[in-house]
Amino acid sequence: MLFNDDAVGVASVINMPVQEADLSSMVIHANWADGALHLWCESGNSSSDLELGVSDSSESNAIVHSFACRPIGIEGKESSLILRLPSSSETPVPSAALSRVMGRDTDEDHAAVLTEFRVPSIEIDAVSAGQVLETLVEQADHNENESSVYTIGSGVRYFVAASRLASHLMAGHRVVPMLLQDAQGSLTAGWWPWLSDDKTAVRVNKLVRSMPGVARAVVDEHAHDAWSMTTEFLAGITDARCRQTMIIEDMFDTVEDADPDADPQVAWLHGLLDKTEEVPSVAGQRADIARKVRRWISELEDRGESSAWRFGLRIAEPISEGLAADIAKPDETVLWSLSFFLQSVDDEEVVLRASDIWLISRERIVIQGLTLENPQELLMAELGRASRHYKRLEDALEGSEPIEVLIDSQEAYKFLREIKPILEEQGFAVQSPPWWESPTGRLGARLRIESDPADMLGEESGDPDAAGPQLGLNTLIGYHWEIAIGDTTLTLNEFEQLAQQNAPLVRIGGKWVEIRPEDVENAVSFIGENPGGEMELGEAMQLALASDASQTGLAVTGVEATGWVASLLGGDTGGASIELPKLETPETFQGTLRPYQARGMSWMVFMERFGFGACLADDMGLGKTIQLLALMTHERIEAGDEKVGPTLLIVPMSVIGNWMKEAQKFAPSLKVMVHHGIDRLLDEEFTKKAQDCDLILTTYALAHRDNELINTVNWTRMVLDEAQFIKNPAAKQSQAVRGIKVPRRIALTGTPVENRLSELWSIMDFLNPGYLGSAGGFRKKFSLPIERHRDQNKMGKLRSMVSPFILRRVKTDPSVVSDLPEKIESKEWCALTPEQAKLYEGCVQRMLSDVDESEGIHRRGLVLAALIKLKQICNHPAQMLKDADPQFGKTIDPMRSGKCVRLLEQVSELISEGDQALVFTQFRQMGHILSTMLRHELGKDVLFLHGGTPQGKRQKMIDEFQEATGKTPILLLSLKAGGVGLNLTAATHVFHFDRWWNPAVENQATDRAYRIGQTRTVQVHKYIVRGTLEERIDEMIESKTELAENIIGHGERWLTDLGTDKLRELLTLRADTIADEH
Amino acid sequence: MSKDKSDSAEPHDQGIAESSNSGDAPKKAVKQSASKATKKTATKKPAAKKTTRKVSKKPPPPPPAPPREGRVMNVSSKPTLSASVPIAPKKIKPQYASFRSSRKSLVNPRRVRGGVKLKLKVGESPASWVTQRLLRAAETGAENAIYNDGLEYARLGQTKRLTIEDELCEGIIQGRSDKPYTTTLSLEKFSVESQEQIISAMANQVRYTAKLLASELPSNIEDVFAPLGLKLFPAEPEDIKPVCSCPDWSEEQPWCKHTVCLTSLLAEKLGDDPMAIFGLRGMPGQELIDGLRQKRAVGVQGPGPSPVLLQHVPGVSDLTSPPLEDSIEQFWELGSEIYDLDTPIEPPPVNCVLLRRLGPSPFIDAKFPLIGLMATCYQLIGEKVIEEESE
Repeated sequence: MLFNDDAVGVASVINMPVQEADLSSMVIHANWADGALHLWCESGNSSSDLELGVSDSSESNAIVHSFACRPIGIEGKESSLILRLPSSSETPVPSAALSRVMGRDTDEDHAAVLTEFRVPSIEIDAVSAGQVLETLVEQADHNENESSVYTIGSGVRYFVAASRLASHLMAGHRVVPMLLQDAQGSLTAGWWPWLSDDKTAVRVNKLVRSMPGVARAVVDEHAHDAWSMTTEFLAGITDARCRQTMIIEDMFDTVEDADPDADPQVAWLHGLLDKTEEVPSVAGQRADIARKVRRWISELEDRGESSAWRFGLRIAEPISEGLAADIAKPDETVLWSLSFFLQSVDDEEVVLRASDIWLISRERIVIQGLTLENPQELLMAELGRASRHYKRLEDALEGSEPIEVLIDSQEAYKFLREIKPILEEQGFAVQSPPWWESPTGRLGARLRIESDPADMLGEESGDPDAAGPQLGLNTLIGYHWEIAIGDTTLTLNEFEQLAQQNAPLVRIGGKWVEIRPEDVENAVSFIGENPGGEMELGEAMQLALASDASQTGLAVTGVEATGWVASLLGGDTGGASIELPKLETPETFQGTLRPYQARGMSWMVFMERFGFGACLADDMGLGKTIQLLALMTHERIEAGDEKVGPTLLIVPMSVIGNWMKEAQKFAPSLKVMVHHGIDRLLDEEFTKKAQDCDLILTTYALAHRDNELINTVNWTRMVLDEAQFIKNPAAKQSQAVRGIKVPRRIALTGTPVENRLSELWSIMDFLNPGYLGSAGGFRKKFSLPIERHRDQNKMGKLRSMVSPFILRRVKTDPSVVSDLPEKIESKEWCALTPEQAKLYEGCVQRMLSDVDESEGIHRRGLVLAALIKLKQICNHPAQMLKDADPQFGKTIDPMRSGKCVRLLEQVSELISEGDQALVFTQFRQMGHILSTMLRHELGKDVLFLHGGTPQGKRQKMIDEFQEATGKTPILLLSLKAGGVGLNLTAATHVFHFDRWWNPAVENQATDRAYRIGQTRTVQVHKYIVRGTLEERIDEMIESKTELAENIIGHGERWLTDLGTDKLRELLTLRADTIADEH
Repeated sequence: MSKDKSDSAEPHDQGIAESSNSGDAPKKAVKQSASKATKKTATKKPAAKKTTRKVSKKPPPPPPAPPREGRVMNVSSKPTLSASVPIAPKKIKPQYASFRSSRKSLVNPRRVRGGVKLKLKVGESPASWVTQRLLRAAETGAENAIYNDGLEYARLGQTKRLTIEDELCEGIIQGRSDKPYTTTLSLEKFSVESQEQIISAMANQVRYTAKLLASELPSNIEDVFAPLGLKLFPAEPEDIKPVCSCPDWSEEQPWCKHTVCLTSLLAEKLGDDPMAIFGLRGMPGQELIDGLRQKRAVGVQGPGPSPVLLQHVPGVSDLTSPPLEDSIEQFWELGSEIYDLDTPIEPPPVNCVLLRRLGPSPFIDAKFPLIGLMATCYQLIGEKVIEEESE
């Protein structure tokens, strides 16, 4: 059977014009069936060009899926699958991901039933499954060119997570050799992931509970059971990968000569080490083999007699006699004690020592509300169980009332090192002294850095340029290594003494420490090879903060610095913890800095003074613009008569207007130039003017296009606003920006960069080139382990490396929150795109010529109609042209509207901060456009509440939004619908996408979020397109004249009474306000 | 968690509670003394679990001995009844009536200290339908007076020892003579064939599987047995086979005071721990659970081979996922917990920790160095993954 072209209903709705295969409109899914991974796609494109052939040879009566296709460009065997999928009248309903890609409202796609569908697939074998999944996800998450990668379905994400879990278990030796038996009794063998241990069980629980329905949709004997589907996948890929390793390593050779009939172990190994799973065995022996293996492995699940109480061992050092100042000589006669106890599982504080248990001859003890039955018997039984894992405990079983065993210090070391982890895994409690496995209890190397004490930001520092160029991460600093135990530095003499003792546990200065023999050796050679000297600060920081023992051979236990380096390293909380002299709001700055803003400015001054690039990453709305403007005013006051060179500020097109407005308002003393637009200055004219200005604004696009021109200026500083724009290091814009020569660099961003590693690397490499190493090296060392495997250790190291260079405050910081008002209102100045400008001018001209020829009501009608059109054009050309009706599944291009671009930027930022927003518009049509656009661009569902929303649905939306699950962070409202009676305090941002020109009405809308029950600061963003009537009317309202009263009271009626000249003046587009490119 | 410890249990003296030892396995054997003290309600699940959890492997406790009795005494509650309980005139015996009625107690046995006592008071209705059912069987089988005397014996604590072991419930009950009588109760065993049928029938019902795997008894459990022509709990006197060493006992009339007494205690015991019934039916609960697990695995694992040991991960492996239909609303939705799933790729802090926990090869007499070879395999597997991951 071939693809059913006649499919009606949903399929026909999502058919798109035939184009080259746009992979992003294809959602790729994964399922596990018959020991292999199957990949299949849902296509949003017209499917006629795609390979859809499903040769339906089976007798199954599954319907052929009408818009599924075989993935393109993935190698594997062509196959097909039968899945039970949501459907409506026998037609599959698009997946959530496909709906979002197509900008469809998921509410439209209501599925009530599941139907069996046949989908064409590519089959990937178990060995490569993980790698293929990993590549798919990697490409989707890291590829800039959206249309060349698949949109990833939730099933792919599920199986990739499962595959990572399998890798984690294999890397940690957490697989077991398994024996399997079929109904006829034949035996096979396989490598199985061991899932029952506590920590793994937690992971497995998270995994299985997250399973989307689609991942278990395969029609097979598993009956859609989540657990068996997951375990089969885990077991399948684990066995395949382990077996492959065995084959590569020729492990089969080890048993080849042994006789499987003579030794069942050999038979079992045959099945584990060879290409086939078969375990050669005599029928009569099989039951016995199976039973023995089952018993053996089930040992791992043995959790003891009681689920409420666990047996524990406490290892204690010999009581020291006196306070030995020096390294104590090991005294072999001094013994360590291993004492026994029972501990409550529910409350680990509740502990009964064996010595007490033998005193209480009761069958039942109630202690702090917890009941313990037969404590003595439990103690003995569990001691017996523990002794199977640690033979020394058998001694205790000889006695009648055992409370402890005594061991010497060698044995104590063995216990701590080897036995403790095993006992703990087996469900016993082991209490060890606090120094054990603490970084302060182990031999390591400490880096000591010496730098000159600097006078920080002293008032007398004078020329701010003085310190800059000489310092920075390339500065050579003096250093030497010390051998230390924790914070205690050892003298050479002490160290030699240690080395001679050759004992793993020794006492130094009254404290016990672990001295691994290999550590001593490594320390000797390490000190020999690293006598100290000078190295670059960046290198020193890498060594001290992010190295591991594999690099140095010895754990780097810390870094100690003097002077300015000490200030930089501050503490472990990064930029926020540096002690800085507090600078005040500069005199020429028009406004007052909030305390945290003054601190932000001081921090940037400090960082620049020592030549470090700095990233100010405060939350949106905390005033990064203001802090930078304050910094620039400050340095000009400090410099006195001396001229401070110009700052190049690179911003996204969408915020140029904002920067200009803010600079005018807060720092009118700065000479600002905008390098942008068709009439921008070129050649020497530019160089000369730029050199004379304080702040030159340009866009990322021009930084690339006019790169040579920009490099003709002798810049003092370069600032990137929305620095995440350079997140792709390979992009031309990023390279162009990095190529600009400038001594000081600052990056501004509102997104939490630490969580987005490619961004983080790009921004850090811009700020402090080379510090994080090459992009490839960084990816290997940090990105992969952190992004794929959420490796906390690596994350911690990376954080400590970058935190000195990042200052990030969030709205909820206690230090910030007290400074913030309850409501922050700001105007967002947007630009028109060329398309919008053309439409706008055309509309104005037509109207002006029309009104000249008409009078009275007719004239008014013409003016009003034109005004509405102009407002629509400002919103998005599609709103007026109606050329992309979202109700028919068309996607909306946000790049056609300056407002939409800005909205997307701000909304993405606030979502990444975990916030929610209300977006108001006057036009229901615009609401549809925005909802389609946001859904497509953000990949999240968007709620839209308008006048036509039925009451029931309205309440459902409101409840969903207020629950704030992060699934629907945006609620669109038409102003009329959002008027009264709604309580939407789950929002902390309010956008007025277009203006009502009546502050009272707007405030009423704003109050949905800002009302009783709101505990956080609400930020209000009012969108205004520069140069258009929106700006003109805003100016009038702000002027608070009589006219303003008119405007506010009567909407747009007053405009219709204006003369033609007045209208022209009011409506004509001002120059320099058009975005020319992106 | 579960383990088959039956082998290790066998050699022990069968005198006193020797039971399986696993966490949530039902107990094959029950030692009444300690568990009864504070139990009031039979339906509290966690409490019921706790009572049955106990045990020891070593040293094998001696047969009933005075010191042990003494300990029991310490914990047993004050007598809930004495001989001077208010009397209600004896009426014609209706069904159930005996729980509520009472008469002057004429029993006068040699008193026992620390014996097992019936908690059910005169006039009280048993909380569990299981208890009710068994009491009704005894009530129907015994003469009125005998029945009431038997209950009185039980309340007085005449039972010196009560064990449920090897499909047999045994009591040592002190009557009026010097020596206590040995009383036993047994039930009809389920044949191997029936056991298979039962497991299959239960495995098909998700709610049974889930409950039983959690060592709880599904409320409508008898629905599984009725179609097979079986009963799980005795309902008629013929369903129980009481035997007693007292002179009153005979094949024809096996319901003496002592057997009634023991039946009432067993009834109450089963009310607290209904899973114990499987043991009496020759089908230990652990076997049932293992069977169910295996069955469920076979059911979902397909016709292929299944592992000799099925892993048990609390929270997921024992629950059957909700039907796919129920997830239609979130069919494409990935749970958010997956974003907290950390899977660092790193060598283990202790090499081959699972092997170390497993100890020596299960094939004790075999020569091949299995464990050593395995250790090498683990190293290779781990290194390979780490190497691939950093590529």
